[in-house]
Amino acid sequence: MLRYIALRGLLALLVAFTVSLAAFLLLNVAADPAQAIAGEDATPDVIEAIRARYGLDRPLSVRYFDWLGGVLTGDFGESYYWHKPVAELVTDRADETITLALSALAVTIVIAIPLGAMAALNPNSWIDRFALGVAVSAQAVPNFWLGLIMIILFGVMVPIFPVSGDDSWKHFVLPAFVLGASSVPAVMRLTRTGLIEVMGADYVRTARSKGFRGWPLLRRHAMRNALLPVISVLAVQLGQKFGGSVITESIFAINGLGRLALESILGADIPTVQMLIFVFAIVFVVMNLIADILNAALDPRIRIG
Amino acid sequence: MKVQRWRSLCAASAIALATSFAPAHAGPEDDTLRAAMAEEILNLDYNYTTKREYIILAQLTDATLFNLDPETQEVNPSIATAYKWQDDMTLDVTLRDDVKFHDGSTLTPEDVAYTYNWIANPESESNATGVVERWLDNAEVTGPNTVRFHLKSVYPLVLRDMANRIMIRKAGTYDPDGKINRDAMSSDLVGTGPYRVVNFEPGTELVLERFGDYFGEAPEIGNIVVRNIPDVGTQQAELMSGGIDWMFKVPLDLAESLGATPMATHLSGPDLRVGFLVLDAGGYTDPDGPLTNVLVRRAINHALNTPEMAEYLIGGSAEAIHTACHPAQFGCDQEAVAYPYDPEKAKELLAEAGYPDGFPLELWAYRDKAASEAIASDLAKAGIDVTLRYVKLESLNQARAARDIPAYFGTWGSGGTADTAAIARIHFSGESDRDMSGDKDLAELVLSAEQTADQEKRKEIYSEAIGKIADQAYWAPLFSYSANYLVSPQLDFPLDPDGLPRLQNSAWK
Amino acid sequence: MTSTDQTFTADPEDGTTFALTPGQIFRRRIFGHTGFLIGAGLILAIVLIAIFAPLLAPHDPYAQSLSARMLPPVWSDGGNPDYLLGTDQNGRDYLSRLIYGTRVSITIGLGAATVGLLIGVTLGVMAGYFGGWIDHAISFLLTAQLALPGLLLAMALVFIIGPSIWVVIGIVGVLHWTYYLVVTRAATQRIRSQDFVAAASASGASPRQIIWHEIMPNLLSSIIVIFTFELGIAILAESSLSFLGVGIQPPTPSWGLMIAEGKQAMFYRPWLVVLPGICLFLLVIGANLMGDGLRDITSPEGRNE
Repeated sequence: MLRYIALRGLLALLVAFTVSLAAFLLLNVAADPAQAIAGEDATPDVIEAIRARYGLDRPLSVRYFDWLGGVLTGDFGESYYWHKPVAELVTDRADETITLALSALAVTIVIAIPLGAMAALNPNSWIDRFALGVAVSAQAVPNFWLGLIMIILFGVMVPIFPVSGDDSWKHFVLPAFVLGASSVPAVMRLTRTGLIEVMGADYVRTARSKGFRGWPLLRRHAMRNALLPVISVLAVQLGQKFGGSVITESIFAINGLGRLALESILGADIPTVQMLIFVFAIVFVVMNLIADILNAALDPRIRIG
Repeated sequence: MKVQRWRSLCAASAIALATSFAPAHAGPEDDTLRAAMAEEILNLDYNYTTKREYIILAQLTDATLFNLDPETQEVNPSIATAYKWQDDMTLDVTLRDDVKFHDGSTLTPEDVAYTYNWIANPESESNATGVVERWLDNAEVTGPNTVRFHLKSVYPLVLRDMANRIMIRKAGTYDPDGKINRDAMSSDLVGTGPYRVVNFEPGTELVLERFGDYFGEAPEIGNIVVRNIPDVGTQQAELMSGGIDWMFKVPLDLAESLGATPMATHLSGPDLRVGFLVLDAGGYTDPDGPLTNVLVRRAINHALNTPEMAEYLIGGSAEAIHTACHPAQFGCDQEAVAYPYDPEKAKELLAEAGYPDGFPLELWAYRDKAASEAIASDLAKAGIDVTLRYVKLESLNQARAARDIPAYFGTWGSGGTADTAAIARIHFSGESDRDMSGDKDLAELVLSAEQTADQEKRKEIYSEAIGKIADQAYWAPLFSYSANYLVSPQLDFPLDPDGLPRLQNSAWK
Repeated sequence: MTSTDQTFTADPEDGTTFALTPGQIFRRRIFGHTGFLIGAGLILAIVLIAIFAPLLAPHDPYAQSLSARMLPPVWSDGGNPDYLLGTDQNGRDYLSRLIYGTRVSITIGLGAATVGLLIGVTLGVMAGYFGGWIDHAISFLLTAQLALPGLLLAMALVFIIGPSIWVVIGIVGVLHWTYYLVVTRAATQRIRSQDFVAAASASGASPRQIIWHEIMPNLLSSIIVIFTFELGIAILAESSLSFLGVGIQPPTPSWGLMIAEGKQAMFYRPWLVVLPGICLFLLVIGANLMGDGLRDITSPEGRNE
């Protein structure tokens, strides 16, 4: 087990470096950071000055290994845009994104799992059809469009919740709902199919024949196995929340990592993009690791080694 | 029917919302003007920035030696009270003795000389270095309130550069104790302007308050808060609910729609920015490409319905142009040949050039998507098989630097300078990859205009250059822009003819 | 079709199997499933619209008329009967653009979901079946893909290769294979540890035979379900990329791009945002309902049985 965790840790680092290299190359191909900093009406001498100032006139390989050397000593460099150490920038803004991602996940869980469970317990009932309707609709709504509709609705017609900013919990209600809604269908369906499948299994039939019914049956016998795939999907979904925060944070003007990522990608702020990718990669691997360990703990049939 | 009702409901609740919220937020009560900017504000030191937002802020926090009158382009005193040319290469400037920095200290000629010498020094890596090192050899203190500038070469636009580009700093600002710190003023700015910085969170908010010891006329409004709101829709929602009083760069349709309600006033002013197509006449992407043929370039000029684009897509005071400069700029001779909209003529010219069935053309663009699409559509109508590459500015610049771009829809704001020099040099002197004409004689001509201080002579040179550009159709000039603002109905915001917003001149009604 | 029939006859629970031929059951299930019929109907209608777009569209979707721009739909004040749903910011007929938009969405949806399927299932089955270093290498790839922002990849690829519908299909496909992988990997692992696989292995079957004959048939229903979900997801992904400006390029009528273009005026001309959103919703909901239906029809534990 320890060996496995160490291996996955190593993998996480490897992923982080590979992806940061890929991002570095892609960014340099697609846009010139000096031009991005200089802006619309930049003259060549301004661009030259900026290149010299940020060392952008050096070859790509030198710049990448320079950055890599910095990272190994814990220095992620300084943002071209923000004139701040990137590490500071990212830690400053991480709160908002973590809050958003977790509240979105909470929205997903609170809606999806009970709905899925109720649907599974009462197949073909109105609640099953209702759950299916919710899933099918939520899945079919473009996320960014839902955000815009929410802004039109709540920004102007029913001003209960603010539509931009991140100053209070109220600011997170709409974005968390929008971001959370996108995962409801997948999680709900998996809960439902998982439960139905498990309910048909021999050991549940045995339990049922012993008189277990409804919720106790669900909790004592079915839930654990049914939630197995749900857990790994939740981990993936949480990872996607970080990715999904890009559009949501931009639409709702939340100063988090997603918006930072979008702006630094569009603005070719290479050090920031690289650190964000680095962090996202590690977060993602760690979450997957947790999901795998949980899976292994819950299901003795899966052996990891 | 449904949408109709929905819309009236939407508008009604918006108005209700605005009226119920307005007293709580609005500016006059706490004497605070709240302005929104989409572009992130990250560095307050205009000596180290270039974007337009930073010019607007520098007007608030900083002062320069001279001011340019936006109406007449005349040089007015600011920190300097007078100037005198000793000869073509020596300029004496007299300074006010009552100019205070925001930290309370008094400005000295040493500060002025330091600022200029620092920026002229390549070590400074300032964004203004390129402007200053063209002409400045060094600045020297010659008395208790005089500074002498020694020039490298004859350069007629010295006072303009002084007025536009160099913000005065205290001596030693950027290299205290010999250690270079280029970010010294990026957030804790000590300037000499009418407002001083109270609080600055990069990318989020800038809080300014009126500086009591400002040497010039005190602005009317006591506090200015600049908020970064990246999304125009969000800015609009904030304006409707009274969270902000001022937004700029507003898309025309939005400005007109919201301006028609009692929640906001739509202001439209002129702008020196012009839009144009740059065509690869020099054959950088393809030495024998169709664009190297002058008939093809003229055909493209004829194919574009620029008056319609100006009227419907840019709006306000925007107009079609036929010169490679803004008609309001000095030396922008309107006698240059024009190619009126005539799709049939365009087709004829293409056929005459040997392309009766058109040719494939990659057209790049980075702003004004609707106009970009309109251009592509007009060219397609003339038979050219256009692929539109609508990308980020940085990507366009990257591709242009690699000479991968045969034609692009570019714009240029001339830094608010009403002089053809401000647009001709970068686009036709061969000094940047924006110049795709490949015309060496033209480059020499354009550069020669900067070697003389004789205004009549300069005018002549620019007329010739602009005439040549039009004759050769190196560009397809499109239209001038208009600057659209949405402001709170309580705000009086005057507009200047150079299109630069000056928040310091606003007042409450 | 063959594998479907196999599944039916192999199902001892389904009492009717022996009374009717598999084909009859299949037809009966299809026509007894309302959701499937609605979904298939929607998809069929949209596909027909896409095919016959030139006949249906009242105008050329690219023909601009700047003086007739931003007309409201015909039922609003100032509507023009020539333009039933009004015009966009370039004075192009909105209805015609929406009609031609079906072509973009359907092409990209099918193309990208197929690209994703090929990548995801191949990798998932390999990872699940072989385990060991192959599994590690694939989970490395998975993590790297999830950690790399799709936006960055899209931006760079559209820039380098140039914008075309095929590039967008490739990008969306390459960004959407993880769900196939996660599910098929877990399912393969589960199946592989079951007795019948061990038996097949012991009787000398090669890995290829085992994968094709023992594992794939068991994966088929989940792959179909995922494909239909991914069809919707790919359509939504294209719309998000186009919304952000790195997908379909103007002037091609893509619904996501149309939403982005209408966004600036959304408070005053909400139809510019609402209409393409509804189109997306209908198409994706059609795909999802059809997918749900297919799952129910093909799987032995189908919900309507």
